[in-house]
Amino acid sequence: MIDLRGVSCSYDGIEALSGINLRVRRGESVAVIGPNGSGKSTLLKLINGIILPDTGSYTFDGDEITGRRLRDATFAKRFHQRVGFLFQNADAQLFCSVVHDEIAFGPRQMGLDEAIVEVRVLDCLKLLQIEHLRLRAPYRLSEGEKRKVAIASILSLNPDVLVLDEPMNGLDPKTKRFIREVMLSFIAAGKTLLCSTQDFTYVEGLFVRGVVISADHVVVRDDEYQSILADHEFLGHCNIV
Amino acid sequence: MIPEWLARNEQYTPRSDRDAFVDKSIVSILGLFSRFRSPGPRGREKLNINAGVKLASALLLILLLSLSHSPLFVVFAGALMLALLSLHRGELILRVLRVGLPVAAFTFVMLLPFVVRGNFSGPLMMTTKVFVSVSAVKLFASTEEWESISGALRALFVPQLFILVLDITIKYLLLLGEYSLRMLYALKLRSVGRNRNKTASLSGIAGILFLQSREMAQDMYAAMECRCFTGRYRARRVAKFSPADLVPLMIDALLLLVFFMART
Repeated sequence: MIDLRGVSCSYDGIEALSGINLRVRRGESVAVIGPNGSGKSTLLKLINGIILPDTGSYTFDGDEITGRRLRDATFAKRFHQRVGFLFQNADAQLFCSVVHDEIAFGPRQMGLDEAIVEVRVLDCLKLLQIEHLRLRAPYRLSEGEKRKVAIASILSLNPDVLVLDEPMNGLDPKTKRFIREVMLSFIAAGKTLLCSTQDFTYVEGLFVRGVVISADHVVVRDDEYQSILADHEFLGHCNIV
Repeated sequence: MIPEWLARNEQYTPRSDRDAFVDKSIVSILGLFSRFRSPGPRGREKLNINAGVKLASALLLILLLSLSHSPLFVVFAGALMLALLSLHRGELILRVLRVGLPVAAFTFVMLLPFVVRGNFSGPLMMTTKVFVSVSAVKLFASTEEWESISGALRALFVPQLFILVLDITIKYLLLLGEYSLRMLYALKLRSVGRNRNKTASLSGIAGILFLQSREMAQDMYAAMECRCFTGRYRARRVAKFSPADLVPLMIDALLLLVFFMART
């Protein structure tokens, strides 16, 4: 479904990713692991089409994602509907006046009937257990609540792929456990999950595969998630644990 | 338990819509960022001239130009500016001319009534003065990093508190710019169809940005208080001179010479 070949990226001449090869099949759950500044967020942004590779190619479900392709509004919108992205900072993702509108934003964009929009909003509120926040202003919520609203606002689009950038950052253990459960049910529905993480305590059983990016911005290991976690020497060497 | 519609594959074909505003906003913020963040023009310059000396020379040029009534001096200053410009890369020359020429043209248009009445030299002098002054400032700003500019102001004994405010403004412009960029990306990623109410989404972004900036300002005030800030600020003045600084000083001397010679 996702196919990156020899992808390199840079910001203002500073390298962020170098020669990345990565293939993710439909229904896979992949953890993107690496130290700070290794390029995890850049990789996830690239998969969402926010940034484009300097060299190499990115193919999503048979379509090469290029600047030209994304200028085709119909294609870009379908692509963005299929790939949901949770930003590291939930604040940046919430721009509506109340939680209900925030979750309804995507389905309304899709032109769904208002009755269906309402069903989706209520289902997402229920799934994330935030029914009581329905009429609250997003910016007045706690970090954990904001993160839940941000996830709900993506899920209401019913994406095929969920891309999460450090979803557990700054959350309390109960919220982390809860978000893990939501991700598990998403995977159980046959959807694809890509998630960058540095917190291995609360993501147990979530990932089948792990991709390790080093401080040099290259993929140094693409392996079973459990075998990566078991290799303490390797993780220590890569400045991950 | 996950709802039934979420377990299905979405069959969705987007309808066309106009997204130019969000796209243009993203491009313009990115452009602004690259100007702030680019690794500075210093390394690319042949001469590493002190920013304070450069700023002082630019200010002297502007002062002499505004005081001078001599066409000879104005023409000399114009020629000097063109000569200085020609020492730089084409891209930088274009960037300076893109500011200098329109401002000069606007000045000339404003002074057209004088031309109609038969006064040619006055408008021509004024236009040249404006062109040289604006180009000098733009050339200085384009060849210096933001940090060096505040350093240069410090060297010219501009009040430290003013420089602190300027530095903080630049920093928060970048931070809020980054924040608004992330929000615009989030809006674009979720704008997967026809948005009938684009202004509402954008006003939402503006509102959140305002609240965020207020929060940032309050946090910074608290942080400054915690570090014993009492409204006074003192930074170390660093003045490093190199032999390259003699070049602008020699040009300044030449300018002064021509200025006084042209008066007599």
